[in-house]
Amino acid sequence: MTPIAWIIVLVALLAAVGGQIFLKKSMQSSHGATGFRSRAVMIPFATGIALMTMQFFLNLGLLQRYDLSFIYPFQGLSVIIITFAAALTLREKLTLQLIAGSLLISLGVALVSLT
Amino acid sequence: MMTQSKPTGFGNPWLQLGLSIACVAIYELLLKRGAAETANLSARWSWTGLTGLASIYVWVAIVFVILSLITWLYVLRYIPLSIAFPISQAVHVLVPLGSWFVLGENIVTMRWIGIALVSLGLAVVARPVARLEEEL
Repeated sequence: MTPIAWIIVLVALLAAVGGQIFLKKSMQSSHGATGFRSRAVMIPFATGIALMTMQFFLNLGLLQRYDLSFIYPFQGLSVIIITFAAALTLREKLTLQLIAGSLLISLGVALVSLT
Repeated sequence: MMTQSKPTGFGNPWLQLGLSIACVAIYELLLKRGAAETANLSARWSWTGLTGLASIYVWVAIVFVILSLITWLYVLRYIPLSIAFPISQAVHVLVPLGSWFVLGENIVTMRWIGIALVSLGLAVVARPVARLEEEL
């Protein structure tokens, strides 16, 4: 694994997390009176889609070089990162149960993909 | 913390979450197939992954990516991200179990442990939600 591959794995991970946060922000705003046609929906929506598109192609590039079993364990990390990011940026309520569950899933996803 | 009263029937966000997960499982398998087919590492810009577009599997996968995205956006309107996202990881249980059942692929011990951990984590995350839904 070359340094550039590590950087791409990291950038893809951050793009995946950021993409989810922006999409959730956008959908939260869609409950408002103006529905989908407000800036509060469209701007985070476009940002989220851009980040997820970037993540999609970066992962495809990684898949061309490495096995699924090497690339996907990193995605496991996204679970616990997104749970905390949602609490920090979207003020979602974190419970001990949610943290414990997310940690188990992160670890499990890593193990499933590792082999 | 639900943002609005939830629709029922086909519009039930939990059903849509299930559909979204199924779409992800399908496109992951298609993408790997397409990526393997187009792994031409000599192209200078192949790091971008764009060379994958030469495969029909990647295009079919993109259709499922879009379907999974639409259902996922719908889910996000009603379910908190910190609950919906961990549950969406059920795909990491479904894909290996599906390959085991349908394709007769072998599952090594390490992977069984991972499947068990994800399942346990899903139960831990989903349990308070199920209780909440019953109360509503």
